[in-house]
Amino acid sequence: MGASARRRAAITGLGFVTPIGSTPAAVWDALRSGRTGIRRIQGFDASPLPCHIGGEVPDFVAKAVIEKHYRKSLNAMARPVQLGVIAAQFAMADLGLKKGALPPERFGVEFASVMGATEINDLARMSKACSIGARQPVNMEAYGRDAVPEMPPMWMLKYLPNMPACHATILYDAQGPSNTLIPNDAAGVEAIGEALRILRRGAADFMLVGGSESKINPLSLSRYNTFAPLTHNNANPTTAVRPFDRDASGTCMGEGAAAFGLEDLEHAQKRGAKIVAEVVGYASGMDRGHKGPGLERVIRNALADAGIEPGDVDHVNAHGLGVKKMDAFEARGIAGVFGRDVPVFAPLSRFGNMGGAAGVVELLCSVLALQHGELPGTLNCENPSPECPIAVHTAPTRPVTKPYAVKTTFTDLGQCAVAVVKKWEE
Amino acid sequence: MRRRVVITGMGVITPLGHSPAELYASQLEGRTAVAPFTRFDARTMPTTFASEVKGFEFHRYLKDTSRYSHCGVNTQFAIGATKQALEAAGLLDEGKGDRGRFGVYLGSGEGAEDFPALMNSVGVATEPGASTADPAKFCAAILQVLDPLREAEVEMHTTVGHLGEIFALDGPNIACQTACAASSQAIGEAMDLIRCGDADVMAAGGAHSMLHPLGIAGFNRLTALSQRNDSPRTASRPFDLTRDGFVIGEGAGIIILEELEHAKQRGATIYAELTGYGSTADAYRMTDPHPQGKGAIRCMAEALKDAGLKPADIGYINAHGTSTQANDSAETAAIKAVFGPQAYNIPVSSSKSMLGHLIAAAGVAELVICVMALRKGVLPPTINYQTPDPDCDLDYIPNVAREKRVDHILSNSFGFGGQNISLTLSRFRD
Repeated sequence: MGASARRRAAITGLGFVTPIGSTPAAVWDALRSGRTGIRRIQGFDASPLPCHIGGEVPDFVAKAVIEKHYRKSLNAMARPVQLGVIAAQFAMADLGLKKGALPPERFGVEFASVMGATEINDLARMSKACSIGARQPVNMEAYGRDAVPEMPPMWMLKYLPNMPACHATILYDAQGPSNTLIPNDAAGVEAIGEALRILRRGAADFMLVGGSESKINPLSLSRYNTFAPLTHNNANPTTAVRPFDRDASGTCMGEGAAAFGLEDLEHAQKRGAKIVAEVVGYASGMDRGHKGPGLERVIRNALADAGIEPGDVDHVNAHGLGVKKMDAFEARGIAGVFGRDVPVFAPLSRFGNMGGAAGVVELLCSVLALQHGELPGTLNCENPSPECPIAVHTAPTRPVTKPYAVKTTFTDLGQCAVAVVKKWEE
Repeated sequence: MRRRVVITGMGVITPLGHSPAELYASQLEGRTAVAPFTRFDARTMPTTFASEVKGFEFHRYLKDTSRYSHCGVNTQFAIGATKQALEAAGLLDEGKGDRGRFGVYLGSGEGAEDFPALMNSVGVATEPGASTADPAKFCAAILQVLDPLREAEVEMHTTVGHLGEIFALDGPNIACQTACAASSQAIGEAMDLIRCGDADVMAAGGAHSMLHPLGIAGFNRLTALSQRNDSPRTASRPFDLTRDGFVIGEGAGIIILEELEHAKQRGATIYAELTGYGSTADAYRMTDPHPQGKGAIRCMAEALKDAGLKPADIGYINAHGTSTQANDSAETAAIKAVFGPQAYNIPVSSSKSMLGHLIAAAGVAELVICVMALRKGVLPPTINYQTPDPDCDLDYIPNVAREKRVDHILSNSFGFGGQNISLTLSRFRD
């Protein structure tokens, strides 16, 4: 099918629960003012960990905002699930859509998320029943007999990756396709790409797309501290994460969620929806060994899917981990397509790495930029690294001059996903 | 004209065999893989048995396994299945084809947590009699004992990422986790990636193992597992009146999906054509299916419509058939709603009666059995079928395999969370 005959996909409503704000206006204000959400972790005492700063959603109380009739289900939701469900709720409120407003069979849900880490309190009584001390084998006879009955009955459901999407289908009677993608930092953009493909193939008219994750809990943060390239600059949380900077010292983890309506354009216009932007292109693929040409190929495929040239692009929205080797890789991939001609904006130094939520939250930062006509600066890139041959955009904000933004993202195994969004013009 | 998608290779690592031929032969013989746990000491657990992969030799599939020795068995099984499938398709050699157009789409799970490290560290951080653990004490304790290489492999994106890396599949690299529907959903979406032109070849399927102490406990607490501890071999009894839950298994399966012209040009063996995909949500409850199978009905109907098939074209249905009270009656009701009076004339069976439930990998293992049934003309039975249930009154191919040549097969997979997936498979005709 040629690009002209293909169904178009409009973004029609935004919901955020992030370290820098939980309304589109608050997020935009923080993006413009250069405020970061990275801080010394306050949710629990993480001080024994080498990296104990992160992007934390402040004052998040799901109970206060969840739809009243659904409140009792919170018992079966760990924090990553709660963040996702509330972001979905905020998006639907922004869309002005209540349950039953859309034909259920034509309404699908696509999320990015991963398995939540168990809350340690869920295992507290269990552990006393079967653990005899550090580095000892667990007493399995006692585990089966005495510990298992202490496990909260809904334990497993609290953490399953597909639960944000599941709850969203129930809350809004969405009976179309429902899927949850799990490739960590790439999952969010992959979910957007899949939702776009579902609309194009005609399997739904409206997709609620979201990403949610929380790495800010004792088990996740301990685990990431063993293998992820985290900064140890705990003394300076606001400047520690430095995308594409000469002095990049590592990244930090984050948490958050975002959701939005992705809708067949004609469907959106027919119901008089307020259109925010369009998703016009997508591609994914591997860059084995983080060399650069693989990411470059994926970016080119996404531009081809959108039917545009590099010169049409206002800015690239990069993952920008703040990890030297990864920043150099991402910059090589971007430079292969755009050279230094297109400004690069990396939102991660405001959020930390939100994993499954990263792609969605970060892409929506560009949607806000296109909508408001100005591009915020990348925080903490004071001395661009010579290893990164790109034009990193830093403060002050710059006017948006072209209609398209390109979102790049990748994982530590080289899974890359790229989406292209377009400013909405009648 | 839509691009057509055919199957040109398959591979499995399952409790009933480490090749498609062995898996299918076991199914025709009515052999069960269900037995007491050997992976860990589960003698005092509410459920003491499972369907385990045994005799898996990782080194048969990789020259140098050292880089992947920290991976969970889920990933190791996936590597084994992918090697088999690419070899069967003649696409193992990196030099074959435009690898940027070859991708992977898995329905796959997480690596197992380091159970002793986790349990002991929570123990260190919990005062006797307390119901909360001290986070700082927990962090300090677990940091001492975690193995960084192992922890990196617990991450959910690693299985699919390693397949791309090892087998030089540089195209789309995606994974979903929609519980028991996951690998069927992966296959359906991978087919769509080929149809829409994003790839020419996709290694699609899944891998999962939840045979670890927390996974089993979690399912036990949801009362989802059979507790027929005195008779593990007969515990998985889909559609039987006395069924009391599913039997958990593990494994991996990969099928090679290929665009038809691409397959023809290189003279590939075509095993079958993947013709239809339906994907719906129940929007009902977290674990229970809708009792009348509302979402399942539309899902099967959509797969048929996508394939351009009429209900009468379907010669065999490979059911989700978990052996839970709720699934088997809801699925039966849904089949009757879609197929009408004809439903009684269509053989339906559940591979899980022998194989157990491979969770995210269930759908692909069952689709491989369907491909074999299509080619060989013998349909696998539902074993342990003894006492008819008035709510489950279809022809479940009780206990003994049946010779029947069929041209079109429907395969169902439904998952916790309410996702429903149906796929149709057709004899390839040019």
